[in-house]
Amino acid sequence: MIRYIITRIGAMIPTLLLASIVIFTIIQLPPGDYVETYIGELIASGESVDLERAQYLREEYGLDKPMIQRYLLWITNFVMGDFGYSFEYQRPVSEVVGNRLWLTIMVSFATIILTWVIAFPIGIYSATHQYSWGDYGLTFFGLLGLATPNFLLALIMMYLAQRFFGVSIGGLMDAEYIDQPMSWDKLKSILEHLIVPTIVIGTSGTAAMIRRIRANLLDELQKQYVITARAKGVPPFKALVKYPLRMSLNFFVADIGSLLPTIISGAEIVAIVLSLQTTGPLLIAALQSQDMYLAGSFLMFLATLTVIGVLVSDIALGFLDPRIRLSGGAEK
Amino acid sequence: MTRSFRKMISTSAALILMAGSAFAGPPEEPRVLNFDNLDKEVGKSGGSIKMLMSKPKDVRWMTVYSGARLVAYDETFQLKPDILKAIDNADNKSFTLHLRKGHQWSDGQPFTTEDFRYWWEDVAQNEALSKGGPPREMLVEGKLPKVEIIDSHTIRYSWDSVNPLFMTALAGARPMYIYMPAHYLKQFHEKYGDADKLAGLVESEKVQNWSSLHKRFGRQYRPENPEMPTLQAWMNTTRLPSERIVFKRNPNYHRVDPAGTQLPYLDEVVLNMASSSIIAAKAGTGESDLQARYVRFDNYSFLKQGTEEGGYNVLLWPSGRGSEMTLLPNLNTKDEGFRKAFQDVRVRRALSMGMDRGEINEAIFFGLGREAANSVLPSSPLYKDEYAEAWIEYDVDQANQLLDEAGFDKRDGDGVRLLPDGRPFEIIVETAGEQSQETDILQLITDHWKDIGVKLFVKPSQRDILRGRVSNGETVMSTWQGLNRGLATPEMNPEELAPVSPIQAQWPTWGNHYASKGASGEQPTLPEVARLSELYSNWRSAANYDEQAAIWDEMLSIFTDQVYTIGIVSGGLQPIVVSKKLRNVPEEGIWAFEPTLYFGQYLPDTFWLEE
Repeated sequence: MIRYIITRIGAMIPTLLLASIVIFTIIQLPPGDYVETYIGELIASGESVDLERAQYLREEYGLDKPMIQRYLLWITNFVMGDFGYSFEYQRPVSEVVGNRLWLTIMVSFATIILTWVIAFPIGIYSATHQYSWGDYGLTFFGLLGLATPNFLLALIMMYLAQRFFGVSIGGLMDAEYIDQPMSWDKLKSILEHLIVPTIVIGTSGTAAMIRRIRANLLDELQKQYVITARAKGVPPFKALVKYPLRMSLNFFVADIGSLLPTIISGAEIVAIVLSLQTTGPLLIAALQSQDMYLAGSFLMFLATLTVIGVLVSDIALGFLDPRIRLSGGAEK
Repeated sequence: MTRSFRKMISTSAALILMAGSAFAGPPEEPRVLNFDNLDKEVGKSGGSIKMLMSKPKDVRWMTVYSGARLVAYDETFQLKPDILKAIDNADNKSFTLHLRKGHQWSDGQPFTTEDFRYWWEDVAQNEALSKGGPPREMLVEGKLPKVEIIDSHTIRYSWDSVNPLFMTALAGARPMYIYMPAHYLKQFHEKYGDADKLAGLVESEKVQNWSSLHKRFGRQYRPENPEMPTLQAWMNTTRLPSERIVFKRNPNYHRVDPAGTQLPYLDEVVLNMASSSIIAAKAGTGESDLQARYVRFDNYSFLKQGTEEGGYNVLLWPSGRGSEMTLLPNLNTKDEGFRKAFQDVRVRRALSMGMDRGEINEAIFFGLGREAANSVLPSSPLYKDEYAEAWIEYDVDQANQLLDEAGFDKRDGDGVRLLPDGRPFEIIVETAGEQSQETDILQLITDHWKDIGVKLFVKPSQRDILRGRVSNGETVMSTWQGLNRGLATPEMNPEELAPVSPIQAQWPTWGNHYASKGASGEQPTLPEVARLSELYSNWRSAANYDEQAAIWDEMLSIFTDQVYTIGIVSGGLQPIVVSKKLRNVPEEGIWAFEPTLYFGQYLPDTFWLEE
């Protein structure tokens, strides 16, 4: 097991290196650079532009250096914990992202928990009452949530919340609480504003989760040990929870890998519509304006989390299910 | 005994403290505003208003809105001293600046000629801080001015020949700052600062060297640094980035109202950040007390609906651009057939006369715009009807005749004219693709131009990409807004009318020739364009207002008669959301970056809240 973990960690390094090259190249692919974006913005707002100055800006930001040199500089600094400098915000990337991290994690956790709270009971019910009216009805609602475009739902719910409950449009709290110390009123305001994003982001995930729980549990419920247990008169609830449910949770653990980056990135498009101060909109804006170190370091950060997440879920699965450990370990 | 002793100590301590930072308040010689000709009322101090912004960079709009400049445009667009007590202008060659006695920075330190000296000697001429030397407005024929510091409140800048750019640069929406708070910034300057402390700061702020540090903490136009003192009406108190940026009133502001109350009236201006797409929706629920940025004309009916519940009014101010949208035929395009065609003035005139501006105005602007060529607006002192009406009449017959005369009389089976090389006269118009409005207008023009045998195709792209293509001469025709200085006065720089920059989509190669001082690009080949260049350099050496006005006149006349840019409709409307409680906001105004500084011209420091 320990050897397995070590080889897995060893494999992470080339993976991440490859990811970093891909990320950096793609960010640089569109024509122009940040200075171009900046000039374009100045022209659009009617300010005059000194093209000589643009050249100085390029030199100051190091954009005149060849790409390979910029890449090497960025990646070596990244490894040493310096994530670079955001042109747009004129601050170190770690500071820009760090400012938004807590709110992002909060929104993501609320969403994930909501998804679980809704999906688990429904999934179990659907599996145990397969092809019943309840199964069809609940699945229908779940799929409805999956099929509705999130941004549209966000707009409608935001409007309704403003109209009937007086919750201010967008944001994660009323404006007067921003940058204030935590207080009861602030918490209340945050919770009020958390409802819409949680529901909107949660609805899309719920349906998928329901279907997965249902499918995995159905597989398990048809196994002979379950039938035997039932035949021997084990109470129905215990016959469900004791083994079949636990066995069907493998997929759930495997999910942790993808969960980790989601917690940090938040739902980008919905966050823009809802004007949440999370990291999602930050990333998109950075990509649009070619704020390359902000975009690059953030994507790299997500890549690292994905790789770590996959590793964690693999190890957890190994502990949870001896079959995986044996076959997986032997092959590697 | 002990009590009075203690009192004595505390009094003297207070006195010492006050001596350190003089009493807060306006200068001994403040600028007293005259409200009679401004249609304003004396208000009450206090209160806080909210505005919505989208990016931390938007703090710069506070500098524009606040509008304190060394010299500023008054309501008739004449330059008048504002932060300065007086400015003596000797034939545009020598300028003597007089500061107000007792004027202080927002942190209570005196504002003196030392602040000007510091900028001139230690910043503008410092190799590390200003690569390439002082701003171009400070140079005449490449030569620096003579700077004489006469006393702590008087300073003189003089050049051998005239410098018409100096005053307008000081009054600009993004002004040229020829002063800096020396007492604050010296700590970041290699020459004055403590070397160890500087090294420590460079380390902790993760910048390359002291000059980056100085630049970062010393921004005046974009007030990002809450510790940086200012002369504007409000000072930033929030460290960026933040979702809520609070500006507090500057206790040492230099303007007072007629009753002697120091301005600004409002204690606080709060900028709340929201993504730009929902700002109109938020403004529509009354979440902003004064909003124009990120609100567009197509939001107007939505905003109007919410006036009762939101407690606000919506004003409509015409924009200050020469035209809402212009077509820019590229006289330097790489496509030889079209280059020859567009260099023929008859073709440009025909294209202009072949569009039905009346229909565009009705369909897109609800008939509220003015059908006009790309020129100055009626409120500008330079306005003449002949400029606005040059070649804008919808006359299909004359347009057809002009095109026939220009040699495009052959047509293909569909009635589309042919270029001499046999290709059909099909123009691809490239747009920045940001507003659907552009595409809608172009769609209408496509129909109009069918009647004159010209086909139009729209190619939306992206702002930065379009700019690159324009500079390389790859576009045949593009669209952009009209003249930025639609409210020009003779003192303003007429650079938009002459080829000066590769950004100008109608003549990028000729513009590049000027911008690169002849290193790249080509000299204008058309005599009229060459005349514009000549007039522009004449303007730069014009000694007085009348000469400047004469030059502007001739330039405008050539520019509009030659139809280098095809203006469509001017005076598009900017909705402005104003809380019902906010007073002194004029019903009528013009929404422009320069010279009105958006709200700046209408003195936001006099806006006040009624309970």
